[in-house]
Amino acid sequence: MSTAVTGVDVPGTGASTPASPPAARTRGLRKTYGSTVAVDHVDLDIPEGAVLGMLGPNGSGKTTTIRMLLGLVRPTAGEASLLGHPMPAGAAHALPHVGALVEGPGFHPFLSGRENLLRLGAAEPKLSGREIPRAVDAALERVGLAGAATRRYRGYSLGMKQRLGLAAALLVPRRMVVLDEPTNGLDPAGTREVRSIIAELHAAGVTVLVSSHLLAEVEATCTHVAVLHAGTVVAQGELAELLESGSPGLVVSTPDAAEAVEALRRNRIPSRLTPEGVRVDLTATTAPEVVSALVHAGVSVHEARRARTGLEDLFARLTQQESNGEVSR
Amino acid sequence: MTETLESAPPPSPAADGPSRAPLPRLLRAELRWIFRRPRTLVVLGLLAAIPVIIGVALTLVDSPGPPDGGGDGDGGSLVATAAGNALVLPIAALAMALGLLLPLTAAMVGGDALAGEQAHGTLRGWLLAPVSRGRLLFVKAFGVATFAVCAAGVMALTGIVTGLVINGTDALVSLSGTTLTFPEALLKVAIAAGWVSLQLWAVGAVALAISACTEHPMVVLASVLGGVVVFSVLQFLDALDWLHPFLLNASWQDLADVLRDPMPGGALAEGALRAACYIAIALSLAYARLSTKDG
Repeated sequence: MSTAVTGVDVPGTGASTPASPPAARTRGLRKTYGSTVAVDHVDLDIPEGAVLGMLGPNGSGKTTTIRMLLGLVRPTAGEASLLGHPMPAGAAHALPHVGALVEGPGFHPFLSGRENLLRLGAAEPKLSGREIPRAVDAALERVGLAGAATRRYRGYSLGMKQRLGLAAALLVPRRMVVLDEPTNGLDPAGTREVRSIIAELHAAGVTVLVSSHLLAEVEATCTHVAVLHAGTVVAQGELAELLESGSPGLVVSTPDAAEAVEALRRNRIPSRLTPEGVRVDLTATTAPEVVSALVHAGVSVHEARRARTGLEDLFARLTQQESNGEVSR
Repeated sequence: MTETLESAPPPSPAADGPSRAPLPRLLRAELRWIFRRPRTLVVLGLLAAIPVIIGVALTLVDSPGPPDGGGDGDGGSLVATAAGNALVLPIAALAMALGLLLPLTAAMVGGDALAGEQAHGTLRGWLLAPVSRGRLLFVKAFGVATFAVCAAGVMALTGIVTGLVINGTDALVSLSGTTLTFPEALLKVAIAAGWVSLQLWAVGAVALAISACTEHPMVVLASVLGGVVVFSVLQFLDALDWLHPFLLNASWQDLADVLRDPMPGGALAEGALRAACYIAIALSLAYARLSTKDG
């Protein structure tokens, strides 16, 4: 019944900008550590300008994929390209335009936040020596750390450390920003700020890759989604498309639910009772027909709306289904 | 968080040739990092204190003048000579510390350079900037070398000052019995400090090679320390004399040659050459490991 979702390529990936090459792409990516297969057959496309949310349970290969994409780890097999340059060979071409927060923030505890960023800034090819202090101050301001800039990193809270990591990724105007679990350790306000930063980046045309296990986070900020499970991509595509790819349905809220189900059965329309109302299967019929059938039967209808598969449902379906089939690997 | 929108629209693809940060900037950033670290400063401070402590202790103890054997080269008799001689004190201090203490500090810096950064997750920051792995190793090797020069230099400096305060410029007698002028004595101390720096750099290079293989600075420290101890033990085994030329510390005892007049260069040159070989091999190994390492 699930149609396009289980396939690796959902048509429409990158449909918004058909002509431009993807900002990042992997083909047959595989990484093994000894006999452990961390990632296998990962074919990922990140369209230019997209905000791609990478979802997956812990240990599904999100971070490994990101590290290979950034050239930190050499793939065992397959290839990755970033901004059109093969990785890791093209790192010198691609990485200056890419900001990344991978595997949590990493900084020197005995230096202040500002000094840590100055040290990173010294290595940024796109910054001239004079621009570094200004870029550092702007980045600190942007993540709300200006007040704590001169304090030692040692004394930072988890959220402040995370913000500093974010500041490092935003030190230079980027073409692509990669954020691995950016909201770890952030309070709700911090989470909202990260969301607004991602929105700003998106508005400026920057491609963003966010990995997260917070589904609501991804649903709120992303245009595209890739779901990883057990080291492979089990679904990817535009968020809206993926959400609708489940079986179409209509949720009808009515005071006389039992009567509604009865009336629909008389009209040969499959339906069932759910806690949110009567769920009607639309594979063989259309919404107006359902409503008219109900009204003719004298059932009062408060509301009828399209049943959207929540990302959570989708995620649960994909990862469970896959784990049944792929446990043996 | 703020209203400023820092990210500009993507630049044209034409502008994305390879680019890298200027090397002097990286070297400066590395040195600032090394010398901002409290640990480094404490170690340098302690090293600076050693010649002072030796000088003061010898003066207070009021030890006898020149030793009986005229100095057979080992640290003990050198120290005895150092009591009455401003020239000998810094070199005796260096010779003493070179046995274990100075290698320990070089290993510490080498361990922090890669393993320590890896442990903090900070190595990734530079790799992603990006700094190529070859340049990264160059910067790290430069940092270790600078520390080696500073460590030897600071000991030589406080050694000279302490020696001068205690003995003045009189009695700058070499181990061969000739009297030296003050500039000649300074030159000898500088040669000794330079030679010790080179040996330390070799230790640091080995530390870097180990550092590239682990993310625990402690492993680096323990391996280098263990290596120095084992090498010292091997020196005493005559049955293994075929092995001795390959041991880095084979010529460390010959530092006292600097104090002879004229200076016999053979052993010192051999030691320098040995250190250079160690540096070349260790840095090659470090590069081989670093270039394939997961960042």
